[in-house]
Amino acid sequence: MKHRRQELVAIRNVQKSISNRTVLDIDDLVIYPDECVVIHGPNGSGKSTLLKILGGLMMPDHGVATVNGVSSSWRQFYRRFRADAVYLHQSPYLFDRTVEENVAYGLVVRNRSRADIRGDVANALEWAGLAHLAKRNARELSGGEKQRVALTRARILTPKLLLLDEPTAAMDRKSRKQTFAMIRDLASDGNAVCIATHESAELYCPDRVIELENGKLVI
Amino acid sequence: MDGLVGASVEALRLLFTGDPEIWEIVAISFSVSFRAILYIVPLAILLSFALAFGNFPGRRALITIVNSLVALPAVVVGLLLYMLLYSSGPFGGWRLLFTQTAMIIGQMILAFPLLVAMIHLSFQSVDLSAWQTARTLGAGLIRAMFTIMREVRFGLIAAIVAGFGRVVSEVGCSIMVGGNILHHTRNIPTAIALETSKGEFEQGIALGAVLITLALALNFAVATVRGKDMARH
Repeated sequence: MKHRRQELVAIRNVQKSISNRTVLDIDDLVIYPDECVVIHGPNGSGKSTLLKILGGLMMPDHGVATVNGVSSSWRQFYRRFRADAVYLHQSPYLFDRTVEENVAYGLVVRNRSRADIRGDVANALEWAGLAHLAKRNARELSGGEKQRVALTRARILTPKLLLLDEPTAAMDRKSRKQTFAMIRDLASDGNAVCIATHESAELYCPDRVIELENGKLVI
Repeated sequence: MDGLVGASVEALRLLFTGDPEIWEIVAISFSVSFRAILYIVPLAILLSFALAFGNFPGRRALITIVNSLVALPAVVVGLLLYMLLYSSGPFGGWRLLFTQTAMIIGQMILAFPLLVAMIHLSFQSVDLSAWQTARTLGAGLIRAMFTIMREVRFGLIAAIVAGFGRVVSEVGCSIMVGGNILHHTRNIPTAIALETSKGEFEQGIALGAVLITLALALNFAVATVRGKDMARH
């Protein structure tokens, strides 16, 4: 059913080489709105590269991008789509500021009003169970708390596509459980979520699993 | 020994009684060096940023050149600038020689490599993911750059303070392109050199005391800033 809907974003014949080695070679990949896709594959299979290309942080060498069915150059694609896609690193970078300032960052750069930002940040921190950490410097948090702050910082922007790179790597059991719950919640919000992982894809309850091997889609 | 003690006492008297000539020299020194740093810092930040996060041909060579120029002798900069600005030189028509503007230009040239080297190091201490995070959260290029600058603010302050320390105490360039003209281009280092050559140590000692106090204050400021930075990471 889902595959008959209009695509959110599609990339075709995309290639990326780094140091003369082809790290990504994708014939056709479509992401639909509100689906949860897991990109599964071993380390070095090109998962992060694929997410960074979708998130506008890396330019491919070749290929075509389509947003809402309209093809465009990569520069146009990034200009139109950058505000709608948020990429989260495996080890999220939190700015040297308080937790609430980190969560507010994306709203501040969008010039939202102070009152809106205050309300949205309070709600988002409540949702993430981080309200008690609001005034703490984000650098002082544990790995699991940092990942939750990063997810909250992304969620507050209500991106159409959320790109998560190994979001539960190197986490303890409790943090993993909390992070899985947050990701499932995000996926049920009506946004498309793309998760790159080398762990079992089923942990994320995805709508679709894509296997990546040596930069190529195998399923 | 008596001469040294007597000269030191007289130097302190000159300082604490507000000798106008001494304090005018101090004011010129600070004004020239402050403006030199103020004008060159934005350019140094831009180049440092490009060197840290950019990917362009010749980047590594440029880093090597900048690092090599950190030890550029002030007197060589003074000589080159003199040759460019003297009346028959290519920019002689601008009539800048023996002006504060020429001193500012010379100090900007001197401070630039040191500022770039130190600011570049600060930017390098930030992971590329900081830049990518700012961008993916919607920051434009300028906004993302200011975000990264805030991340390395302590390193930036340390670089600026070190740059100011470098130029406020240099003598070679200032004396060549400034000319050591009283009330116009005589700053602390050139005044010390002049008074010492005349055998009049009082003013030299007084101005030296100002420079030493300044050096101690700047070093203390840098150490405090660095300490804060290290405590946070």
